[in-house]
Amino acid sequence: MTVSVSPAAGQSSTPYAAAPELPDILPPVRVRHGLAGFIFRYPTMAVGMAILILMLAMAVFAPLLGTVDPTALALSKRTREPSAEFWFGTDAFGRDIYSRVCYGARVSLLVGFAVAVCASIIGLTIGLVSGYMRALDGVIMRVMDGLMSIPPILLAIALMALTRASVQNVILAITIAEIPRVSRLVRGVVLSLREQPYVDAAIAAGTTTPMIILRHILPNTIAPLTVQATYICGSAMIIESILSFIGAGTPPIIPSWGNIMADGRTLWQVKPYIIFFPAIFLSITVLAVNLMGDGLRDALDPRMAKRL
Amino acid sequence: MFSYILRRVLATIPVMAIVALFVFSLLYIAPGDPAAVIAGDQASPDDVEKIRRSLGLDRPFLVRFAEWTWQLLHGNLGTSMFTGLPVTELIRQRIEPTLSLMLVTLILAVSAAVPMGVLAAWKVGSWVDRTLMALSVVGFSVPVFVVGYMLAYWFALILDWLPVQGYTPLSKGFWPWLENLILPSIALGFVYIALIARITRATMLEVLSQDYIRTARAKGLGERSILFIHALKNAAVPIVTVIGIGIALLIGGAVVTESVFAIPGLGRLTIDAIVRRDYPLIQGIVLMFSFIYVLVNLAIDIAYMALDPRIRY
Repeated sequence: MTVSVSPAAGQSSTPYAAAPELPDILPPVRVRHGLAGFIFRYPTMAVGMAILILMLAMAVFAPLLGTVDPTALALSKRTREPSAEFWFGTDAFGRDIYSRVCYGARVSLLVGFAVAVCASIIGLTIGLVSGYMRALDGVIMRVMDGLMSIPPILLAIALMALTRASVQNVILAITIAEIPRVSRLVRGVVLSLREQPYVDAAIAAGTTTPMIILRHILPNTIAPLTVQATYICGSAMIIESILSFIGAGTPPIIPSWGNIMADGRTLWQVKPYIIFFPAIFLSITVLAVNLMGDGLRDALDPRMAKRL
Repeated sequence: MFSYILRRVLATIPVMAIVALFVFSLLYIAPGDPAAVIAGDQASPDDVEKIRRSLGLDRPFLVRFAEWTWQLLHGNLGTSMFTGLPVTELIRQRIEPTLSLMLVTLILAVSAAVPMGVLAAWKVGSWVDRTLMALSVVGFSVPVFVVGYMLAYWFALILDWLPVQGYTPLSKGFWPWLENLILPSIALGFVYIALIARITRATMLEVLSQDYIRTARAKGLGERSILFIHALKNAAVPIVTVIGIGIALLIGGAVVTESVFAIPGLGRLTIDAIVRRDYPLIQGIVLMFSFIYVLVNLAIDIAYMALDPRIRY
C-alpha cells in the first residue's frame, strides 16, 4: 500500500519544448496509508490507543482471563506472595489480587470515560451559552470562578461525604469538579470565534442565534474539546483512585484499583506487592490516556504542537 | 497602582462569597438525604432527626445561610460533630505539618522545575529535551500515592536513608523537621514539577524566538545571561501564574501524601472526618483551603506588577 512519487516519474510526451529532465536524486516520498501510516505519523497516539485497547479488553473479558471471584474471601490463604497459583499474590482477606486487578479495570475505565463524556457535554453547553450570550456570561463565569477556587479533589471529597458511596456518585462528584475547566475552555474558543467575519456574515444573512451556535460555532469547538476530554479522562481515573484510596470513593465491596491499594495500605511495609500491581496498571492506563491526548493535540492543532 | 491592588482585592470578595455559598449549599443539593447518610445505616430515626437538627437542615435555607455566614465572618467555622470542638481549633492544631509540607514542596518543585524547563527549551529537540518532556508525561500519569509508596519503599525501607513515616515539629530542630519532609515533598511535587517544567519550556521557547534575544546574541552576551536574565525574566508571568494555579494540585495531593507518610496534618484530619462523616469539619477544611487558594492567586496577581512593569491596569 505504498505509492512512490518521484519528480521524474513518467516521460512527458507534450509537443512543447520539454524542460530538461530533473536528475533523479530526490528519494521517492513514501506515502503510507492505513494502519502503518497512522502509526508512522502519530506514534504516541498509536501507543496510547494500543495500551488502552488492551486494558479495555482486559476489563470486558475479565471473567475469561483465568480469574476467580474477585470478592471471594479465603482466610486460610491470606497475604500469599505472588506465585504460580496467585500471579499477583493475595490480600489480607485471601482475595486473589490478579482477579481483583482485572475486574478493577472496569471501574477505572468506566469512571474515566463517563466523567470525560459528562463533563464535556455539560461544560460545552455552559461554555456555548456563556460565550455567546453576553448577558449571562458575567454571572456564569463568576460561579465558575468560585467553583474553580475549590481544589477539585476536595470538592469531590466534600460531595462524597454527603452521598452514599457508589460508582454513580463518584462519577457525579468528579464531573462537577471538572465542569468549570471545560466551560472556561469552550467559552474562550467561542469568544474568539464570534468575532470571525463568517459569523458576522451569518448574522447579516439573518441566521437565527441557535443556528449560528449549532452550525458555525459548535463544530470549531470540537477539536480542543476532544483533547481536553482525553486529559479529563486521565485525571478522573486518578481522582477515582485517590477517593477510593482514602475511603471516600467506590464502595469497598466493588474491586477497583484504588480500593485494592486502600486494602494494602496497612500492610505496605511487609507486603508491598498488594499496592504495587494495581499501581502499575493504573499508572500505565493513565499514561496511555495522556499519550493519546498529546497525540490528538499534535494532530488537531499543529501550531500548539510546536510550542508544548 | 493602589487602585489596581484595591480593585483586585475587591474582586476576590464575590469569588469567596460564591465559594462559601457553594460549600454551604452542598448539604442541600447533594442527592439523597445527607442527614441519613451522615447518621449511617445503623442509626435510629431519632439519631437522624438529631443530626438533621444539628446541621440545621430542619430550618429554611436562607435563614441558615445568613446565620452561618454571620458566624463565618466572625471566624467561626462551626463545631465538629464527632469531637464537639470548634472546627477552627481542630484546624489550628493540625495546620503546621500541612503548611510545612506544602512549603517544602513548593520550594523544591520550583527550584527543580524551572531550570528543567529552561534547559529543555535551550536544547529544544535534543535528547535532553525529549527525556524531560517524556518524564513530564509520566509525572502527570502516576498518582501521588503511588510515587509516595515507591519512594518510601526504596529510600526508607530498602536503602534506609531517610525516615519511613511520621513528622517532627519545626520546634524540635530544622534537620529532623526537614528529614521527615523530603520524601513526602518529592512525592507531592512530582505532578507539580511536571506542570511547571512544561509551561516554563513552552514560554521560554516563545521568548527565545523574539528579536531582542537575537540582538542579545549578536552583541555577544553569554548564553547564561541570555537565558536567565533576558529570557527567563520575560517568561516569568505565565510561569508564576501556573505556580499559583498548581497550588490546587498541592492541596489535593497533600491529603493523600499525609496519609501515605503518616503525617498528622490537615490531610489526616480530612480522612478522619470522612470516616466519621463529620460534615461540619469537612466543610470547614474545604472552605479554608479554598480561601488560601484564592488569596495565593490574589497575591500572584498583584506580584505581576513587580514582574512585568508594563502591566498597569
